Amino acid sequence: MAKEIFMPKLSSTMESGTILQWIKNEGDPVDMGEPVFEVMSDKINIEVEAYEEGFLLKKYYNVDDVVPVNTVVGYIGEKDEEVPDTPPGNTENSESKAEPEPDQNETVADDSSSSVTQIEQGQIRATPAARRVAKEEGADLSDMTGSGPKQRIQQQDVHEFVQNAQKTPKATPLARKWAEEQNADLNTVEGSGPGGKIYTKDLSAAQNDTVSAEPDRIPVKGIRKVVADRMTESAAAVPHVTLYSDVDMTELVRMRSRLQDKIIEQTGAKLSYTEIMMKAAASALERHPYINASLSPDQQEILLHRDVNLGLAVATEQGLVVPVLHHAQHKGLVELVKESKQLAADARNQQLKPQQMQGGTFTISNLGMYAVDGFTPIINQPEAAILGVGQMKETPVGENGSVVLRPMTTFSLSFDHRVVDGAPAAAFLTELKQLLEDPYELLM
Amino acid sequence: MHKYDIIIIGSGPGGYVAALRAAKEGKKTAVVEDRGIGGTCLHRGCIPSKTMLQHAEVLHQVEQSAAWGIETGNVSFSYPSMLKQKETVVSQLEAGITALMKKGKIDVIHGFGTVNDNKEVTVEQKDENVTLHAPAVIAAAGTSPFVPPVKGLRETAHVTSDTIFEKTELPSSLLIVGGGVVGVEYACLFAGLHVDVTIVEMQQDILAGEDKDAAALLRNSLEKQGVTVETNAVLDDVDTGTENAVTARYTDKNGITKTEEVNDVLVTAGRRPNNSLLEETSVQYNDGFIQVNENMETRVPGLYVIGDLADGGWKLAHAASAEGISAVEHACGLQPSIHTSLIPRCIYTFPEIASVGMTEEEARKTGYDVKTEVIPMQGNGKAMAMGAKEGFTKIIADKKHGEILGAVLAGPHVTEMIGEAAAYIHLEGTIEELASMVHPHPTLLENLFEAAHSWLGREIHH
Ligand SMILES: Cc1cc2nc3c(=O)[nH]c(=O)nc-3n(C[C@H](O)[C@H](O)[C@H](O)COP(=O)(O)OP(=O)(O)OC[C@H]3O[C@@H](n4cnc5c(N)ncnc54)[C@H](O)[C@@H]3O)c2cc1C
Repeated sequence: MAKEIFMPKLSSTMESGTILQWIKNEGDPVDMGEPVFEVMSDKINIEVEAYEEGFLLKKYYNVDDVVPVNTVVGYIGEKDEEVPDTPPGNTENSESKAEPEPDQNETVADDSSSSVTQIEQGQIRATPAARRVAKEEGADLSDMTGSGPKQRIQQQDVHEFVQNAQKTPKATPLARKWAEEQNADLNTVEGSGPGGKIYTKDLSAAQNDTVSAEPDRIPVKGIRKVVADRMTESAAAVPHVTLYSDVDMTELVRMRSRLQDKIIEQTGAKLSYTEIMMKAAASALERHPYINASLSPDQQEILLHRDVNLGLAVATEQGLVVPVLHHAQHKGLVELVKESKQLAADARNQQLKPQQMQGGTFTISNLGMYAVDGFTPIINQPEAAILGVGQMKETPVGENGSVVLRPMTTFSLSFDHRVVDGAPAAAFLTELKQLLEDPYELLM
Repeated sequence: MHKYDIIIIGSGPGGYVAALRAAKEGKKTAVVEDRGIGGTCLHRGCIPSKTMLQHAEVLHQVEQSAAWGIETGNVSFSYPSMLKQKETVVSQLEAGITALMKKGKIDVIHGFGTVNDNKEVTVEQKDENVTLHAPAVIAAAGTSPFVPPVKGLRETAHVTSDTIFEKTELPSSLLIVGGGVVGVEYACLFAGLHVDVTIVEMQQDILAGEDKDAAALLRNSLEKQGVTVETNAVLDDVDTGTENAVTARYTDKNGITKTEEVNDVLVTAGRRPNNSLLEETSVQYNDGFIQVNENMETRVPGLYVIGDLADGGWKLAHAASAEGISAVEHACGLQPSIHTSLIPRCIYTFPEIASVGMTEEEARKTGYDVKTEVIPMQGNGKAMAMGAKEGFTKIIADKKHGEILGAVLAGPHVTEMIGEAAAYIHLEGTIEELASMVHPHPTLLENLFEAAHSWLGREIHH
């Protein structure tokens, strides 16, 4: 006698299923265990397999039809056996209390009156759809853990497994051991083997890319140590503010070249921009004593210095030193040239005496010989401010409505905001700018 | 001037494989050869010697089989027929290569070729010289037997691997000068054919540079086969005695001068590079061999040297072929598809010896923390069934990761079996993987599996 094929109840909450496809057509021979149709519930897709051998006699529903559970969707029986033209009514009322809840963990009615069931193969619990996908993907079900009831492997699990497998890069066993030991991430390594498989040589190549040779080690001591400590202290303790100003150096350049021969004649050395800047700074500082200042060690007083003692940042092989040119406000360009040249030479030859490095009230750091436009100097404590000088560069500037090229230099003034405020510092920088742009006043 | 994409000089396993690879890339290719297609390997090396060794092995098995109840009556053999069979094998293979060349539309140009830095190749032919040019030229000219300057040797009738099979008469006694791979293979072959064989080797041991245990095993086996092995021995002089006999004098390891009268002297004392084709180039030499980079390119861009003629590397047929493929791929601007660094080495003696990767000594020198495991052939079911008890399986691995660094196999069929060890090294499988792979039973290869387990301290049968 022909046996019904039911829409299986795949879970306790399933009320209906959608027919995804008929794998067999009416008239097709069906073997036991062969999938007959595929159904989708709210949770999973499952291929429903025949529990009976025979022929598919009838399909009552089409693809995409939504069919209540336990409804007869077709018949399997002897060839040409008679079956109803329309589906017989629901054999069971799905609401019926008498109907025992189907085992939530097992998918289908295993009552023998049904001609289909969903069949387990081997010991691995997996849905037929999961099995099919695993087969297609060449993935081994025994490697997977199922997320379904009783750890049943579902289609989704297979998809996830395959995706993860693709995420873990292919690598030789030895390369894996290397990577593990060196804590290297295989995902960042490009494999040279077939299909991008990673070999140990790829790991060493990747390492050569990222690992640099052992650095040379230099102990932090002497001048280096002093610089390190003082800079740290200053940067940490002093609230720095830096102001910038672009200065037109046209006149200064002209003045320098006019004075050059005379200076060489008198001092045997060249007049450098630094010395003119020192002169300008000294003049400006005299007029702005709160910049030529420092905080007392107990931080209770601000000391306004009467003398302008200019510190000059000099780069030596051993590191940065700042010799001090005392009483700069009283000195003319000739003396400034002589003294600063001597100080710089002594600094480079490591011949500075202690008193030549003490008593500074303001520092100038000139990096204009490098391709440096401007920078933020760190204050040489306990001074209140420091002047940074960048390179002189032909720069287009606006002048009377047109653009002209001018030799411009950026001056930056870092000041200790505990000692001075922005406005007076700005006033100082403005004054300095004016002195530099119109430097003849300095000669007076 | 005939223009080509790639010209290859020499058609040995280096040259002809390179030519086929080039043709596959659609390159217009020419091969220049002044002797038989297939080179040393096919005509005077691997194939003739292996064919004859096969005959000797079968003869030995038939003789041995009496003990297994196989009754054959008196066993005899015909040396000239064996040589004929060898010729058949050689000519079949040669016809095969020739057909492949034709299929690849490769021009085979007969004659002695030379090349210059402009990569112009001149081929000397009877009537006139032919000039060819290609942006890439590969020299694969191989080597020739070296006859050392021993008093009387060069003047006296002697044979080398080039000429050994020219005589159709089997000598009754043979002195082999040099106990390297070629020397010991011939020793096995002729001893198997009941020739009275003496090996005179200058070095402390036969098979210098190979695994010490394997060399010792082979020596023992040779002596059992009736071969006299004189190591630390110096051939002093040779002269023609009575008809068909040569008198050889050598000083043995104890300083005693011995005189031996033999039918033939076979010189297997190394080979010299055929480098005259490169005289007009500015390539660099090392002891006559040509220096090349990892792509087999010489210092002349576009001029490659592969195979036995190249400096460094193993002087083996499959190494030559691999280098040929590399050179062609480089010349075509392709990524090399073949690793030329891992070359299995096979010695077709009785028993066979095969090795791959590093020897124990090399591994130690390289700085690995080496652990070696040796499993003797005795006790292996298949070996017993075959009546073969000589041999061992040695596996050399680094303790840190179980990285397999090398393997040495001795025994029957190991030249076929070495591939498994090579595959492990090539694919960077470690000793754990080897131990976890099931091996079929009964096979000789079970010993490799056993060695892996022993190495891990979980021996099954030992
Ligand atoms: C007795 C013996 C047994 C061996 N057994 C084995 C074995 O079992 N397994 C193994 O791997 N290796 C074996 N070898 C080694 C193997 O034969 C060589 O490694 C291999 O032949 C090298 O190949 P090749 O292409 O570099 O050169 P060859 O095979 O030497 O070929 C070079 C060719 O170039 C030709 N030639 C040279 N100069 C010119 C020129 N100027 N113009 C034109 N043509 C030229 C030569 O005539 C020759 O045909 C054996 C060698 C010998 C001698």
